[in-house]
Amino acid sequence: MGGIVITKIADNIISPLGTSTDENFRAICNGNSMLRGHSGAFGLPEDFCGSLFNRNELESRINTEIANSETFTFFEKLCIFSAKKAIEDCRLSACEADVLFILSTTKGNVEYLAESATDERCFLAGSAKKIAEYFKNTNPPLVVSNACISGVCAQIAAVRALLSGRYRHAIVIGCDVLSKFIVSGFQSFKALSPEPCKPYDKERIGLNLGEAAGTIILSATADNEKAQWQYIAGAIHNDANHISGPSRTGEGAFRVILDILKEISTDEIAFINTHGTSTAYNDEMESIALHRAQLDDVPVTGLKGNYGHTLGAAGIIETILSMKAVDNKLVLPTKGFENSGTSYPVNVSAETRTTDKTAFIKILSGFGGSNAGIAYRKGGLQ
Amino acid sequence: MKTLAHVRITPTDTSVNGATVSSASLAGLYREFAGDYPKFFKMDSLCKLGFMAAELCLKNLSADEKENTAVILFNRNGSLVTDRNYQKTIESDNYFPSPALFVYTLANIVTGEIAIRHKIYGETSFYVLDSRDETLMDEIVSDTLLTSSPRYILTGFVEYENEQNYIADIKLVTK
Amino acid sequence: MDNLILQLKNQIIEVLNLEDMTADDIATDAPLFGEGLGLDSIDALELIVLLEREYGIKLSNPAEGKQIFSSVASIADFVSKNRKK
Repeated sequence: MGGIVITKIADNIISPLGTSTDENFRAICNGNSMLRGHSGAFGLPEDFCGSLFNRNELESRINTEIANSETFTFFEKLCIFSAKKAIEDCRLSACEADVLFILSTTKGNVEYLAESATDERCFLAGSAKKIAEYFKNTNPPLVVSNACISGVCAQIAAVRALLSGRYRHAIVIGCDVLSKFIVSGFQSFKALSPEPCKPYDKERIGLNLGEAAGTIILSATADNEKAQWQYIAGAIHNDANHISGPSRTGEGAFRVILDILKEISTDEIAFINTHGTSTAYNDEMESIALHRAQLDDVPVTGLKGNYGHTLGAAGIIETILSMKAVDNKLVLPTKGFENSGTSYPVNVSAETRTTDKTAFIKILSGFGGSNAGIAYRKGGLQ
Repeated sequence: MKTLAHVRITPTDTSVNGATVSSASLAGLYREFAGDYPKFFKMDSLCKLGFMAAELCLKNLSADEKENTAVILFNRNGSLVTDRNYQKTIESDNYFPSPALFVYTLANIVTGEIAIRHKIYGETSFYVLDSRDETLMDEIVSDTLLTSSPRYILTGFVEYENEQNYIADIKLVTK
Repeated sequence: MDNLILQLKNQIIEVLNLEDMTADDIATDAPLFGEGLGLDSIDALELIVLLEREYGIKLSNPAEGKQIFSSVASIADFVSKNRKK
């Protein structure tokens, strides 16, 4: 396994801001967001602010692009649509025995729980199997169900499967759609901000939820042309502290960063794309972890002000946009951030900056005390 | 991959390394083998099941050994039982969403409960599979041992359907 | 008031799954969080739901809860002044 180099060969983002990675990247550079107030959505008695798809419009469009669309739920269609675009982009033969599908989601089709006797659709691996079968792939797909950190964990799971030599390509799809189930739960946690969120800001009061799907295709045998990004390191650690509250010492996130810094030097890092949910405790915890890892000066960027927290998609789409930023020699702005509001004033990038550095770290934290991080470097096979 | 301990819990039989140690329910197992952790009763059934399996499986590991142990669990239905219970709290005519239930509508919370109890700061991961595929689970665990740092992994299948149907089949493995 | 206090204790035991405890085990003036019963942040959120469901009291700002939930006595005092059912 020593000689295997893992590279990214294709990607795609479907979000309320666009249906390609380029559209999404342009939207972020322009400071766009689809975070809006929603009243009565999903039959919820309370209003909320979130980034939602125009479901009817998008679904009609997907129906014309994928075969047998009537056999899939909206969630599954989004996964297929996103994966299809990425697969076409790198001309991968997804049906081959050396291709693995990995799905990152927190709640999949949970909206169907509301209709009795349709529980079967709520089995996450059932969705993953349908998605892989759409592409005529018969390997058992993996579903990574690690709450908010699933998107990074799914990439790490892909890397492991490729390093083992068992597979040559891994198609990693991250997706969640919102529902009464998910939004009411976050409301019961008093975790939501009624206004667009303000990551790391003095006046941050909570997070927004968002919908998105994203796909990253990783390969162990890419050619030079496609292999523009190389996987460097990934790590997962638990806080061993509380199932819903972030650690006051940032223990798990700190250990994740330390593991990653064994493989990459601080000087190389263009920025750290953090979780930055805009809750009081998460952003504070991350600032402590970054400070403990002596990364106070490295630029920090967060994308929740554009997308909200997209749950199982977050780790995927935020990784892709970080790659696009470095491709364009940019550090992306953190929409919503104005005045530092964490105990350790980490170097949050409020505006777009330029950079010549070629690597980044993406970190996430979530329910269950879980924390994960991954690092990539630009430049393919040497 | 070497197995250091193996625990199997079903509604009628709990065994450690192949020998039956109890026939108690989950609450009975808690009273028999733990007893000092009232938070147990706040957990959902999936967590109670995983918690007790870990309790019996990690008995001979020191605190130092536990610190970087990984916890990698699998099942088929995720957190479906608790999902259904939470869903009942958001029906339109009786809408009082329960935060204490919602937090357990993620299958990986069981790995977090085990990490908190045993002060495990290593990796915690939960995979949902289409079937209980032992080969696939072993592949994922051996890939993890091969490519990351943990010396020990607590791993296995843990699924709760109802009081008559549940299983934890958990082992502690090393390279 | 004594009836309300007893009722609250039983409701707290039920919604927070305080196994093996009876109303007699909870001192009316003892702190519920931290030292006392060792309740945590999720318990506090669940108590907010309890107030709404059983007494029709809506707490929109969870920070208000800190004062109200300091003991059974303080909850009873708040409920008796604000209850809508």
